[in-house]
Amino acid sequence: MGGGAMPEQGGGGKKKKKSLDATINVVPAIDLLSCLITFLLYAAVWTQISRLQVQQLGTGAPDPAQLEQQQKALIVTLAMGERGFNLSTSAGTTFEVPSLGRTPEGSIQFDLKVLGERLKQLKNDYPDQSAITVQAEDTVAYGDLVSVIDACLAVGLMSIAVSGV
Amino acid sequence: MAIVQPGKRPAKRFEKSKVLGGKMGGGHKATNAELNVVPMVDMMTMLVIFLLNQFSSTGEVLYMQKDIKLPSAHHGQMIELAPVVAVSSEQIVITGQKVPYVADLDKDSGYLNIPALEERLRDEKKRWEFIHQSDPNAKWDGIVNIQADTKVPFRIVKRVMFSCSVAGYFNLNFAALDAGGLAATNAPSKEGG
Repeated sequence: MGGGAMPEQGGGGKKKKKSLDATINVVPAIDLLSCLITFLLYAAVWTQISRLQVQQLGTGAPDPAQLEQQQKALIVTLAMGERGFNLSTSAGTTFEVPSLGRTPEGSIQFDLKVLGERLKQLKNDYPDQSAITVQAEDTVAYGDLVSVIDACLAVGLMSIAVSGV
Repeated sequence: MAIVQPGKRPAKRFEKSKVLGGKMGGGHKATNAELNVVPMVDMMTMLVIFLLNQFSSTGEVLYMQKDIKLPSAHHGQMIELAPVVAVSSEQIVITGQKVPYVADLDKDSGYLNIPALEERLRDEKKRWEFIHQSDPNAKWDGIVNIQADTKVPFRIVKRVMFSCSVAGYFNLNFAALDAGGLAATNAPSKEGG
C-alpha cells in the first residue's frame, strides 16, 4: 500500500541508471495519525467557557494598609436596576444611563453601548483606576450582570466587586 | 459452433500481440491493486491540526447542562479547576450533587446564606485541606466557579455568592461562553485580590 510512485526501469543502455524515485511506506504515518486523531477526539473541548473573576464586596477582614489605600483611591460604583445604570464616583461625578425598556419576554433591556462609552470616558479621566463596584438589584438577570462585567473588563477595569443594592 | 462468452473477440493474429492483446482482454490482469493513500493522509493531517486547535490541557471543567444557558462574554479568562456551583432556573447543583430547589429559596426565611450549599462547600474545603495537609507550599485560594443560567435573577446569585463567601470561597468566577477568544484578556488571575 505504498503511496509513492513506482521506480522507473532503466533505459536501453548497457549501464542501468538508478531510479531517483523512491517508494515511501506511509503505513506507519497513517497508524500514528489514526492514534493521534483518536486521542485528540477524546480530549477535545467543543464549548469554550471562560471565567469572569469577581469579588463579593465586604468579604474578609480588611488589611489596615489596604484600607488606608482604598480610602485614598477613587471609588467607582455602577448601580444597575429597573431604571438602567447609575455610574458614580467618590469624586462626585454621576452619569445616568436609562434602560431601553423591556424585551417581549419581560427582561430589562440595558443600554450597554452608552455604558461602554461612559466607562471608556471614566477610564480616560482616571487611567490608573482599575477597581469598580457593581451593585445589582434583585431583579437583574445573571446574563445582564455578566454583560456589564464584560463591559467593565473591556475598558480595563479589572478588579470588579459585585454586591446587592 | 462452440458457445463463446459474449464480448470482444479479437482476431487470432492480435491475441498474441503485446500491444493489442491486453486491450482486447487476452492479457492477465494483476490481482494486486495500488491504492493511492495520499488524499487520506492529507485528510488525516487536516483533522489532526483541527483537533489540536480544539485541545484543552485542563479538560472540561464545566459541563454544559440542558437547563443552563450561559451568557457570552468577550473578555473572559481561561477557566480554572475549582468546585462548580451550577444554578439553573429550577435547582442548584454543586459538583454533581443537588442542593435546594430555587423555588424553595424564595419561600424560606430570607437569610442570605443557603445552609445546604454552604455545608457542601465546607466539605469541599475540608477535602482540599486533607489532600494538601502535607504540602507546606499549598495556599488556599478559595476559587469557586458559578455557572448560572442567563435568566437566573440576581437575588438567587447573590445568595449563592454569600454562601460561597461564608464557606471560605472568596474568589468567585462567573462562567460565560467565550465569544472573543481567551487570549483577549491578559490580566493576571489574582488581580485585585
